[in-house]
Amino acid sequence: MNYLPDERAAELRGFFFESAAEVLQALNEAGLELEARPADEEVLRRVRRAVHTLKGDSAACGFSSISEFAHEIEDVLTPQVAQLHGVRLAEVVLAAADAFEALLRACQNQTAPPPLNNILAMARELIAGPVPETSAAKDAVLPAKFAWTEYEHLMIAEAVHRGEAVFNVALRIDPNSLMRAAAFQLVRNVLHAIGTVIALRPEDNIAAATVEIIEAAIATQQTEDKIAARCKIPAIVSETLVSRISEANTPEQELLADLLEAQNVAVSSKVFDPENGDLATQAAGASAAVAAVSDSSLRVDAARIDSVMNLVGELIIGKSMLNRALSELERRHARDPVRAKLADAVAFQTRVLDELHKCVLKIRMVPVEQLFRRLPRVVRDVAKQCGKDVALELSGQNTDLDKGILDALAEPLMHLVRNAVDHGIEPADERVSSGKPARGTVYLNAYHQGTQVVIEVRDDGNGIDLRRVRAHAVQKGLLKAEEAARLSDQDALNLIFESGFSTAEEVTAVSGRGVGMDVVRTVLDRLKGTVNISSLPGRGTTIQLRAPLTLASIQTLLFRIGGRLFAIPLSSVVEITRINERDISRVDQREVLRLREQILTLIRLEHFTKIHAVAGEQPAKTKSFVIVIGAAEKRFGLVVDSLVGEEELVIKALPTEIVSSDLVSGASILGDGTVVLILNVPAVLSRLTRTTPLGAIA
Amino acid sequence: MAQFAALLRKDNQPVRYLVVDDSVFARKNLMKMIEMFGGEIAGEAGDGLTAIAEFNRTKPDVVLMDITMPQMEGIEAVERIVRQHADARIVMVSSVGYQENILAALQKGAKHFVQKPVKPEVLYEILRYVLSDDPTAAGAPVALAGEHRS
Repeated sequence: MNYLPDERAAELRGFFFESAAEVLQALNEAGLELEARPADEEVLRRVRRAVHTLKGDSAACGFSSISEFAHEIEDVLTPQVAQLHGVRLAEVVLAAADAFEALLRACQNQTAPPPLNNILAMARELIAGPVPETSAAKDAVLPAKFAWTEYEHLMIAEAVHRGEAVFNVALRIDPNSLMRAAAFQLVRNVLHAIGTVIALRPEDNIAAATVEIIEAAIATQQTEDKIAARCKIPAIVSETLVSRISEANTPEQELLADLLEAQNVAVSSKVFDPENGDLATQAAGASAAVAAVSDSSLRVDAARIDSVMNLVGELIIGKSMLNRALSELERRHARDPVRAKLADAVAFQTRVLDELHKCVLKIRMVPVEQLFRRLPRVVRDVAKQCGKDVALELSGQNTDLDKGILDALAEPLMHLVRNAVDHGIEPADERVSSGKPARGTVYLNAYHQGTQVVIEVRDDGNGIDLRRVRAHAVQKGLLKAEEAARLSDQDALNLIFESGFSTAEEVTAVSGRGVGMDVVRTVLDRLKGTVNISSLPGRGTTIQLRAPLTLASIQTLLFRIGGRLFAIPLSSVVEITRINERDISRVDQREVLRLREQILTLIRLEHFTKIHAVAGEQPAKTKSFVIVIGAAEKRFGLVVDSLVGEEELVIKALPTEIVSSDLVSGASILGDGTVVLILNVPAVLSRLTRTTPLGAIA
Repeated sequence: MAQFAALLRKDNQPVRYLVVDDSVFARKNLMKMIEMFGGEIAGEAGDGLTAIAEFNRTKPDVVLMDITMPQMEGIEAVERIVRQHADARIVMVSSVGYQENILAALQKGAKHFVQKPVKPEVLYEILRYVLSDDPTAAGAPVALAGEHRS
């Protein structure tokens, strides 16, 4: 637990980014509402509040690009403008939300901020009357970064240590000044006259020709007021910002301060707002925000939870080690009274551990709403671009799932929703002529099913034209015409997830963003989830994403093939049955099994991998087990030699350089130290469909 | 014409100016403004050499110096005056086209510059700024980064 000062600042910044994302979401929602009801002042107030919050928070974190932009946008958000321009103001708000998002990303990744000219021009256009641009610029916080190098920081820290007063000074060169280089030279003269200039940006006159803001760190005996006065050079400098680098800003002092003070005070003391020069309000604002959250919840870095999770995983392995030792003890010393005591202790520990495991899992769980919230905006934008009228209906927002899975699902879901609007929903006139309401609807639903979470994207559009899909697949060379004709409708539908099935003829600005449907499946495969698609002609398409609730550990079924131990997620096991070799019949060069009314295609793992009866076992066994695996709509029978049992496995990711096969999604260690490979069911199935022609699928 | 509060020295005496420009008209124009600011004309010069002589004779509080003049350019005059009187307050007066010269003059120790055509309110602010400095606090002029600095 080392509390580096940077960590604290980063923590606050992380908190800012997180809360900003929420505010941004609120802004998007309010923007959409504003579009629907431009005259609603309450909605406008909400928009204003969101922008204002972004302004204050970003300023407190030193992201002046954001706060300045927010300030400009705030100016437009008046009832007068709303009345005059109505929907156009909503446009600006939504565009501003996008700009904020880009700005946030730029700040987060420390990249160059996006250009804002367009949106600012849009905003200024709306302000009726000659509201002078300069007044807005003057009020804006001087965007000083004081991004000194490590060496300069050291120099500053040393000067502070010597007891000198060091100030960060920022000056904005008067935009009307025509002689920038001369102006910069003059500023340099003035700064050097004030004290010892430790750091200066820009560094030379040439760079100064294009620079508007000069930043410096100066060690001086003069007072802050005096420095500010000297820096207000008439006709050269339009704005100044002077802030003392207090002792608390130097690393070693900050460490102390951090331990003693509340985190937010130390960080916000770096912030200076020349607009009102009021540090206290900002610090108070920041602490209020922190306090509001800390009331009932705590924000923790996901990595910390992950490490707790890992430790719990290790404990689970330890648990099964104990169990194994215990059963050995039972065999050898069945009557030993110590054995019973130990068994009790182990049972107790197991119970607590299970509880602990559940609790840790719960910590990582977040409502799927976080994912859904972004989608109304997506639907609105895409619908607008395609000139369609589309509503979005959400349900099941409170369904929880693992944060990591949620994040991974964001991109596929976004793509599916975009697709639904762009390709799924028909144009209004077409809808009306086929007796549907003119307005299309995309439904999003989420629910738990067993140990999986299901997210459903459904549209009431025209469904997928299977003839076109087949024709397209043939044209793309994915399969031959006669194969395509033989394909079941379901398999034909699944073709759209094949990589290489690019819908090039339909690529539009909306959906053609390089994320194909194959990416959706790739992501779900990686998550050990599945994608199901069903489509009714004229009625619409439903796509189901199924993902495990958590990635950290899974219930598995252990079995042996050729003397090797494998595991398969219990969630994909439908049933287990025992067969005789003579029950197996052959159709189309593949083995099938008639199980009750169904025809099951059988898979033998040894066909793909080179597992050839390791320990000299007899390959021609007369009896074996079949594990019926369900993936998507399909059922397959996996022929195994013997079953070992159920086990909760903590998945350890395998580095790709060790396992080159995608048939294995991970590995785990049993209590006795045996390594188990966990089968990647979707990959096994897709390998099957690739090596042998499709067919005979229930 | 706008009214300006008189700019005075710390001892409440009128500020004494030396106006240097080869154009008589420009000098008259500047002198009129100085009067508006409650200042006193200590001397005039039409070239750099005369300016130096006048400076030594009158010891003005502020010098308004044109950048392009016959005989001796403003820059050289600045350099020679500052060499003898480190705390001399020299404000360069120049058109926009002479940025290089102004830059040089600033490096030689000029305190400020004002663009031609001179606007009284701008000049007033600049003079007030230049006069407000504490001569003891004023350091030596700064050379460019990378150039010689002792």
